[in-house]
Amino acid sequence: MKILVADDSRVMRQIVIRTLRQAGFDDHEIVEAPDGAAAKDSVASENPDLVLSDWNMPNMSGIELLHALRASGNTVPFAFVTSECSDEMIAKAEAGGALFLISKPFTAETFRDRLSDILG
Amino acid sequence: MTNDVSTAVEVDLDMIAEQVWSAFLNGGEEETLFADTDSGAGVELAASVAMVGAYEGHLVVSCSHKASRDVASVLFAMEPDEVTPDDVGDALGELANVLGGNVKSVLPSPSQLSLPRVSATAHERWPGTVEVCRTVVRWRDEPYVVTLLSGGPGGSHNAQEA
Repeated sequence: MKILVADDSRVMRQIVIRTLRQAGFDDHEIVEAPDGAAAKDSVASENPDLVLSDWNMPNMSGIELLHALRASGNTVPFAFVTSECSDEMIAKAEAGGALFLISKPFTAETFRDRLSDILG
Repeated sequence: MTNDVSTAVEVDLDMIAEQVWSAFLNGGEEETLFADTDSGAGVELAASVAMVGAYEGHLVVSCSHKASRDVASVLFAMEPDEVTPDDVGDALGELANVLGGNVKSVLPSPSQLSLPRVSATAHERWPGTVEVCRTVVRWRDEPYVVTLLSGGPGGSHNAQEA
């Protein structure tokens, strides 16, 4: 499977990718995007099987990215990996069509719990 | 909107800092002390995020240049002498972002979190703010001062040339 990791922080993209491997998801192809706008382009060009996106990003936020994808008819499985995890954001994410939010800081165990059903 | 700074907010900075350090920065070898005493020394860089909305203020992480390189080195999984200034800015900014996001989740809502900003402490001011609480994490024998500020102009960091 192909996973798109969208985060404006290079180090957080690296941590997410490292944690995916630590969680046992090390045989998947990873593509990266530094903001929501780049992630939207990458979804179109790379056709990923899963998007793991930060919420707070320049150019296009994670929730704007999700809304743009769904408005264009794209139904790629989408989850947020974000430092903010309020009830309000969870409600917005679910209403927008996201699967769930993973809050930072996370562990490999968290990734295994939340992503095993999707990534196998 | 300005906070009534006399309104007490309950934020367990020690617990939040411990969660963040344990998940992202503890390799299991380094001793980390939480709620350490504040020696007031060695803070040269400040990474901060602003909160705007029902709560207005800033979450600031301050540390030395060496400490910032240590954080970047561990988060990027590279040797300290390979770390670039861009790496330091990205890593320290993300540390502030993760701490700030977790702090924001226990503060009055709704509010927005800004993108992180990193600069020399000599060039950084937060006028009109008051300190709500702080904690000091000592990691690899370097102090990291985590401070929650309340008040100030919403959403704008005010960097002033020294």
